Amino acid sequence: MDNPLHPFELHNFIEFSLFGLDISVNKAVIMMWIVIALVGAIMIKAGTSRGLVPGKLQSLAEILVDFIRGIILDTMGKDGMKFFPLIATLFLFILFCNLLGLIPGSYTVTSQIVVTAVFALSVYILSVVVGFALHGLKFMGILVPPGTPAWLLPLMVPIELISQLARPISLAVRLFANMTAGHVILGVLFGLGITGGLLIGWLPIAFTVAMNGLELGIAFIQAYIFTVLTCVYIGDAMHLHGHEEHAH
Amino acid sequence: MPPSSDPFYAGLGQAVRVGTELLAALIVGGGLGWLADTYLFSTQPWGMVVGLVLGAAAGILNAYRAAQRWPG
Repeated sequence: MDNPLHPFELHNFIEFSLFGLDISVNKAVIMMWIVIALVGAIMIKAGTSRGLVPGKLQSLAEILVDFIRGIILDTMGKDGMKFFPLIATLFLFILFCNLLGLIPGSYTVTSQIVVTAVFALSVYILSVVVGFALHGLKFMGILVPPGTPAWLLPLMVPIELISQLARPISLAVRLFANMTAGHVILGVLFGLGITGGLLIGWLPIAFTVAMNGLELGIAFIQAYIFTVLTCVYIGDAMHLHGHEEHAH
Repeated sequence: MPPSSDPFYAGLGQAVRVGTELLAALIVGGGLGWLADTYLFSTQPWGMVVGLVLGAAAGILNAYRAAQRWPG
């Protein structure tokens, strides 16, 4: 039976390096290009047709945009709409990566921790930059939860520091682990079905159908969670300690 | 289409979130302690022990904060 981790291996199609930097083209890179082209084509095509009664494509785009707008208003409030282009790009890219990865023979870009880690780190660095830009040095107060007595500070500041530093890691690991685990399960079930023969092999194959349905849901949920947490982290940096009251 | 409207998928999302929240804080806490041990003070196990304890506390804090945001 094949190694279930085998589909995640990447082989370079075109070897290419620039100033000693390896920028070879492989399956993941091509999938990213496809995702970018697809999202771009859908959103541009839907954006140019501004019918009062929307067609199929336009309603899809309107649902997506309205959904992202709802996330931002829920987590960051009105002034969070400045970040709408960034949040929408992140959500659409991750969602389409997750969904297209479910097509047999394609590749799930988000099952590479490099990709998710870069997204998570950029989001986290952005939130820190936003915090320092808006609050100056007062932003360091994010390390002190409101209402901490002074004698607890030596304990609370390290804990808060660790909980802050854990944010990009949990963001990256969550997306990567969920996508990888789902595809490994599908691979193992398929392998069992094929080696099992006709007598018992139909059972794991039937489970792959159910798992595929679950994976569709996971693809949506993971894109959704990544987006919500991006909003929460940037929102935390924007309203220092203030968000707890108006968060639902 | 919003996946959060289905209670099954909403619950699944929250469960997945809390799990990684705990894990990530432990990794960061233990990692920082280990780094301090090997490169700064050479106080072999103690930095990592303290780091893991602090990381566990931070992880529970993060999970608690994630749970506070749940609707209902």
